[in-house]
Amino acid sequence: MRKLLILSGKGGTGKTTLASNFINFSQARVFADCDVEAPNLHLISMVKNVKNRENYYGLDKSFINQDICINCGLCKDSCKFNAISFENNQYTIVKNLCEGCGVCNYVCPVKAIDFVKSIDGEIMLYEEDKIFSTAKLNMGSGNSGLLVTKVKQQIQDYIKPNDFVIYDGPPGIGCPVIASMSGVDLILLVAEPSKSGISDLKRIIKTANSFKLKIAVCINKYDLNKELTKEIIDFVHTNKYDFVGKIGYHDEIIKSINEGRFLSNNSMAYKEVKKVFDNTIKLIL
Amino acid sequence: MIIILPTITSGEKSFISENLGRANFFYVYDTEKSIGEVYTNKNLEQPHGVGIKTAEFILNHRADVLITPRIGDKSLDLLKGKVKIFKSTNKIVKENISSYLNGELEELI
Amino acid sequence: MKIAVLSGKGGTGKTLVSVNLAYTINNSAYLDCDVEEPNGELFFKGDYQVANVEVDIPLIDHDKCILCGKCSDFCRFNALALIIDKVRVFPQLCHSCGGCKIVCPVGAISEKKKIVGVIKELDYQGHKIITGEMNIKEESGVKIIEKIIEKSKEIKNHVIIDCPPGNGCSVMASIRESDYCVLVAEPTVFGLHNLQMVYELSKVFNKKTGIVINKASGNQIINTYALDNKIEILAEIPFDKKLSYSNSMGEIITKDEKYFSVFEQLSKKIIGDNI
Repeated sequence: MRKLLILSGKGGTGKTTLASNFINFSQARVFADCDVEAPNLHLISMVKNVKNRENYYGLDKSFINQDICINCGLCKDSCKFNAISFENNQYTIVKNLCEGCGVCNYVCPVKAIDFVKSIDGEIMLYEEDKIFSTAKLNMGSGNSGLLVTKVKQQIQDYIKPNDFVIYDGPPGIGCPVIASMSGVDLILLVAEPSKSGISDLKRIIKTANSFKLKIAVCINKYDLNKELTKEIIDFVHTNKYDFVGKIGYHDEIIKSINEGRFLSNNSMAYKEVKKVFDNTIKLIL
Repeated sequence: MIIILPTITSGEKSFISENLGRANFFYVYDTEKSIGEVYTNKNLEQPHGVGIKTAEFILNHRADVLITPRIGDKSLDLLKGKVKIFKSTNKIVKENISSYLNGELEELI
Repeated sequence: MKIAVLSGKGGTGKTLVSVNLAYTINNSAYLDCDVEEPNGELFFKGDYQVANVEVDIPLIDHDKCILCGKCSDFCRFNALALIIDKVRVFPQLCHSCGGCKIVCPVGAISEKKKIVGVIKELDYQGHKIITGEMNIKEESGVKIIEKIIEKSKEIKNHVIIDCPPGNGCSVMASIRESDYCVLVAEPTVFGLHNLQMVYELSKVFNKKTGIVINKASGNQIINTYALDNKIEILAEIPFDKKLSYSNSMGEIITKDEKYFSVFEQLSKKIIGDNI
């Protein structure tokens, strides 16, 4: 089995578009969306049958039992996150601000504070002839490497020895990205020719290098800035990573997303994405 | 010598887990006694800092060798210089241990 | 007025909109709260005044420590570990809750300061620019964002807040103090999906809200959504290669008359005629 992870550092560079068309080209049977904060792959994955759906629990949060509380205010004084409010003669936890550290539970002299489970998101498994795993983190729940790991784990048992597996990765360089990198054979980085895109690309490469993972780079929307495109290609070559191709800015790409379909196979966009795919596949076979 | 491996199922016939900190089980093998013990990973559901708890587990078991496919920054930081870390192969636990003993595994770090 | 500029996802033009909105409104301030990947500085160039942002982390007195393990058991973020004969601290996991210090039975834990990033300030043609940058390897930039927001409280003029992407806690920290949310969206199925997410967030905080469509293409998907939910469309910025090029090079596009008027109208819709 071969596992490919598509990442970009910066959001909005075209990761998901690439992932969905790669799924089409490779006839991948198993794939996952690891961007749990803003998942999009389900919108064009074409697998609709939900086989399993379950809650994802993050760190427990504190809860004040009003029947026991003696209104001493120690909890409010000890909370470093300003997560305890005092209104109408009652102390309550502000859920959005509570980080679940447990300090208030500890300091409460009458044990009026308990932990309660906090639903931080939802994890889904779709199954038809294809298997697709995805999740959605709730608002304000921050980033979660654990949820990404769960998204990947729930398809483990479905993967057969000769499967080609595709993971659409999360943006950024933090904990979820690191979690998405485990067990992959190759990381394809989708870069964008802008000053900010380049600085983000370099940051993500640093992260991938620390795990000794094989890296390939492609450029999306290359024609929007040809000088910076050249700068990226030079950078990739100097550092001896594999450069697998560039894709222009095409209306067809946007159209295909909006119509929830793959790129039409006589378009320029199709040819360019296909070429990137072919070059990527060569590195992983 | 104590060898630790992160595993998917329990026992010496398990495959190695892709993740160290989020492995389902740990297999702890004592070469002198030729005995392996299986531990459930208690930190599996921890949202934060699982790497640290894992390193704590490994060190508190006085491991000499860790065989794993990858290792995160936090665990590495704690294990560096104290435990030798080798890269696992796609084979089962038992075979990974004998490969290590035959000097066939590559050092990860 | 404090105006937060948001989008569910990166790469939709959040920085483009906030930088140019700030440039268009006289004497306004620009706050870059995207401290993980701050890009505002690429547009407002200059010599920034830099100050460190610090948080409290535990300091263990190993002579006093009796290795009871209470601190490491208490810490829900696993920022402390008792390994064989020593308690170790992992500053990047610490949330500065102060719990370990409270539970230590022998008073072996005190607090020390740790730098998690910087906050930078600049006066740029009458505009106050405040940005922040989180150090690589840190897990959360919320503390830095709070510092930026705190600084902006002294500002009497209009303030534009360039928020981090997504809908996590750092976004919440940036919009809590704002009066108005500008949601930036691209007219695609993805863009709509991300917009829905961030609109929900602005509703939670009960903020006044408007939409800017970036890379407008004639596709009405966002307009229809706005109509259904009674959200005002503030502006539509058409896709244009020249604009995209200038923006990618870190140029303020409203320095060009052609784009200035688009942003002038946008500003007026938000804050009234006195820009």
